Amino acid sequence: MLVVLKAKLKDILNTLAEEYKVLVPAKIEDTSKFISYKDNVDIILDENVKLSPKDVFFPQTEKMYKMKTVKTSMELENITDEAGKKLLFGVRSCDMKSLDCFDQVFLTKGYIDEFYKNKRDSVVTIALSCSQPMQTCFCSAMGVDSQKAVGADVQAYDLGDKIGLEAISDEGSKVIELIKGQLTEEGAEVPQPGEFYLKVDADGVSEKLNGMFESPIWDDVSKKCLNCGACTYVCPTCHCFDISQEVRGENVTKYRCWDSCMFGEYTQMAGGHNPRPTKKERVRNRFMHKLNYFPDRYNMLLCTGCGRCINVCPVNLDITSVIKQIKEAE
Amino acid sequence: MVDLTLEIRKTAKELLEKGEAKVVLGWEKGNFPYSTTPVFIDKPEDTERLIWDEYCINNLALYMLDYKHLDGKVGIFVKGCDSRGINRLVQDKQLDREKVILIGLSCPGMKDEKKAKELGPNADIPMAQKCQDCRYPDPVVYDVFLGEKQNKKVPEKIDTSDVEEMETKSPDEKYRFFTTNYEKCLRCYACRNVCPACNCKECIFDQTATGWLAKANNVSNNMFFALTRAMHVGGRCIECGECERVCSVNIPIMLLNKKIIKDINFLFGDYDAGLETEERLPLGGYDYTDPEEFM
Repeated sequence: MLVVLKAKLKDILNTLAEEYKVLVPAKIEDTSKFISYKDNVDIILDENVKLSPKDVFFPQTEKMYKMKTVKTSMELENITDEAGKKLLFGVRSCDMKSLDCFDQVFLTKGYIDEFYKNKRDSVVTIALSCSQPMQTCFCSAMGVDSQKAVGADVQAYDLGDKIGLEAISDEGSKVIELIKGQLTEEGAEVPQPGEFYLKVDADGVSEKLNGMFESPIWDDVSKKCLNCGACTYVCPTCHCFDISQEVRGENVTKYRCWDSCMFGEYTQMAGGHNPRPTKKERVRNRFMHKLNYFPDRYNMLLCTGCGRCINVCPVNLDITSVIKQIKEAE
Repeated sequence: MVDLTLEIRKTAKELLEKGEAKVVLGWEKGNFPYSTTPVFIDKPEDTERLIWDEYCINNLALYMLDYKHLDGKVGIFVKGCDSRGINRLVQDKQLDREKVILIGLSCPGMKDEKKAKELGPNADIPMAQKCQDCRYPDPVVYDVFLGEKQNKKVPEKIDTSDVEEMETKSPDEKYRFFTTNYEKCLRCYACRNVCPACNCKECIFDQTATGWLAKANNVSNNMFFALTRAMHVGGRCIECGECERVCSVNIPIMLLNKKIIKDINFLFGDYDAGLETEERLPLGGYDYTDPEEFM
């Protein structure tokens, strides 16, 4: 396996930055997320970032197009993404899996979301294996291999003081070619993942939910929920959006932005009716979508076990407990 | 705290068995040694789930909004901050005091769950910031009291040293500080939804059709949200610090709230919200003696 000392990681990133716009997991302003690589950024390799990389592909607010009224007609103007390839370094298996989920939603079933596709096509990924899961991690229970990510161009392995690199795709081979001179060949093995603290058994949960729409557990599960959107906004797989516009005189900008099924106005209809009037219906929808509707449609769970929702929930509404409750329900 | 846990369970059980309360609100253990989660007990046999430990940090008062129309009484365990939250709701005419049975608990100060996650299981976990700043660990109102009061010596006035430090900065520095912080705001509204003072039936920020606040996430919209909320809870903020505790991107939300408290104290005399329910709110009325330099 080709390896590099962690201490020399920045040399490699510097080389890659000549070719790509490199994004790295870093501490910033008392939180952590993927940011543009510069020599002085505080890269974190020992834990996953608090905010998932989903905004690289699906920004919280994304301008779609502009309109301008000219006398009696209207002019449309496309908004194009910044040119050039991006390289996302250090994406964990859970977050790579979430891209797999996104791909299903935005690129399959006969519809292509161009905004997503443009961004997705311009990003090369270097996934990074996890040596020690965080306490809130449960990816293996969701069928994710923490040592080998799906869809990565390059798979990197955490080998203690070194990082091992393995090209997976053709794009990945190009990346390795660029930095080959800075890597050494060593007989390293794919590391074994550490023990998970959270134990979850999600087998059969999707099928079990088929008959549980009216189950009394939703009353119980939802009671403590505050209906804030923290879980949905930090979730790497939540992908709901709302389209809105900014009108300034004759100029209109259409944009889309993240929405959350936890919010009342999410299902508010024009006539005033709301089919999900209380927290019970909203919480039920969140878990049904993740564990039943999505698997039904795309044959995969809409949860990658990253544990971010558990981390941020103000009231500790824990999805692993909900899964347990579903499985134990009559 | 173990002995008190047993007493808590006994008290809740009695309330439910005698039919004095239809439901009892407390805390149960979460999935981690450092986590608890609010629990709603309506069967005497479920009272075994209740616990009292150094991580019972959630202010439960706001849940009373969900039980406004319950036919019967609600029993609720209250620390100092929770009890001030109850007063907040009563004073804001959101809750009928007769409908709640307050079971007081003296709070030793809860530990910081976020730090516990970072530091690992064997570390010495510091007290949560909101508890370090707390001046009312004993409940200010209750019907029953369990355990012993601490009557702890706490500072008489709110510590506004961080506000004062911010006040010494130049306008540019202040602007940079607040824009950097609110740039990262996700607008998940956890701060609003956890706040006992945010008890409007319909929040201005949910009225999307009016265009008060666009859904686009940018620093200007985010600050409009934050500043409006801070002003709206001005004079009513009970300093429970829940907003700051639940912020998923660690924005120092209490700094704004404390600045407003400090200004109110200066302009209208010292006032701690949520200590009682009769007195008129500092910003809830008009006096001839009110300062009005702007007029």
